[in-house]
Amino acid sequence: MSTPSPYSTIGPFFPFEFVDDCNDLTKFAGRKARGQHILLTGRVLEEGGVPTANTILEIWQPDANGVFRHPLDPRFQEVDPGFFGWGRARTDRDGWYRFPTVLPGRPREAGGRLRCAHANLMILAIGLTRRLVTTVFFSDAPDSADDPVLESVPHAARRRLFAAREPALDADGFPAYRFDVILRGQQETPFFLD
Amino acid sequence: MAAGSLPQTAYLPYDDRTQTLRQIKGYPRSWTRTPAQPLIERPLTLSELTGPTGLEEKLNLGNGDFSCLTPGGPRAIGQLISVSGRVTDEDGAPLTCALVEVWQANSAGKYIHQLDRHQAPLDANFTGQGRFRTGADGSYQFRTIKPGGYPVMESDWWWRPPHIHFSIFGPSWMNRYVTQIFFPGEPLNETDLLLNGVLDPEARQRLIFQPQPTKVESGTNMLSFRLDFVLRGKNSTPALG
Repeated sequence: MSTPSPYSTIGPFFPFEFVDDCNDLTKFAGRKARGQHILLTGRVLEEGGVPTANTILEIWQPDANGVFRHPLDPRFQEVDPGFFGWGRARTDRDGWYRFPTVLPGRPREAGGRLRCAHANLMILAIGLTRRLVTTVFFSDAPDSADDPVLESVPHAARRRLFAAREPALDADGFPAYRFDVILRGQQETPFFLD
Repeated sequence: MAAGSLPQTAYLPYDDRTQTLRQIKGYPRSWTRTPAQPLIERPLTLSELTGPTGLEEKLNLGNGDFSCLTPGGPRAIGQLISVSGRVTDEDGAPLTCALVEVWQANSAGKYIHQLDRHQAPLDANFTGQGRFRTGADGSYQFRTIKPGGYPVMESDWWWRPPHIHFSIFGPSWMNRYVTQIFFPGEPLNETDLLLNGVLDPEARQRLIFQPQPTKVESGTNMLSFRLDFVLRGKNSTPALG
């Protein structure tokens, strides 16, 4: 029995080869993912609204039907063979990240409760000695979204966890959903205890 | 085992006393990037308890020898070392087939990275990066060159001690793990802000390789170091291929 080993920062020099070609979740194993392809994009900003360049983000989400590519999901056998569910991106000098992906479906918990459509994000950067984790929600009606994780967030901050349609950022025919990650400061993104 | 019937791993929040401080004096970006608001406790659902599987279908694995570009090819300059250890959960259960990524500076303290401004030479026979998976007993082993120290260009005094970065994919989103591991007896260890950001001396030792007895043989000789990792989780399901 032992406590977990200490985390440390990813630092400035995470190899480009470890990130290249990892941010596109719309295809896998020679197949196109099912469902609505979207561009999940936004900026990572630190205190004072300063863009956070060279930040590494990882995403984990279910397929367009809300199924995770993992055997713990009771519907695992139905998972889209063209969808891997995980990806990695690096922010550019203006703090922008981009994940071409699919609009996630609503996962179903073992008890039968449906979650709101969402994707998990983790953030690693110089200065972050531990990872930060948050959840991006997708809904046309954020105020009436029913979700156990969302319910744990103070009311006033819940809207910050929703990606917003932003047609001006559409690219390659993908509708863009914008989600800015505010590490610290005004409108700070809610992060979860890890 | 039928889908959906895997035993569920229990995850407690990290114990901050045995982790690196979130904000460290003299490390400015730890102050401008760490959230000011308290972290929010949330229930763990299927979404957090699952994670990527079959990562080797997406990420290329190496052959475990990062000291040369091709097997038997010219070796990178520096001290040849072997690094090994085990990856387990908090109960000591092995995490099998966990994907591990490592990256490091070369023996001159230089990374292959466009943001590395340190004026030191690259080594044509060294990429400083590799990937592998743990075995059935959670063990891993790779061969590389001992990295050099290097100055932090944004600072006027801080030199990073030699270290190797590790990124490990545990069985779920909850135990995704990233750290850096140091070498024993390095003078720069005494002043490093990150290593000393772990206040608990016992926990700090867990970020330092243990030197292993090393025989001198007639063939290839190298120094050996060991580091065992404990990833979060009790009653773990082994990592899934």
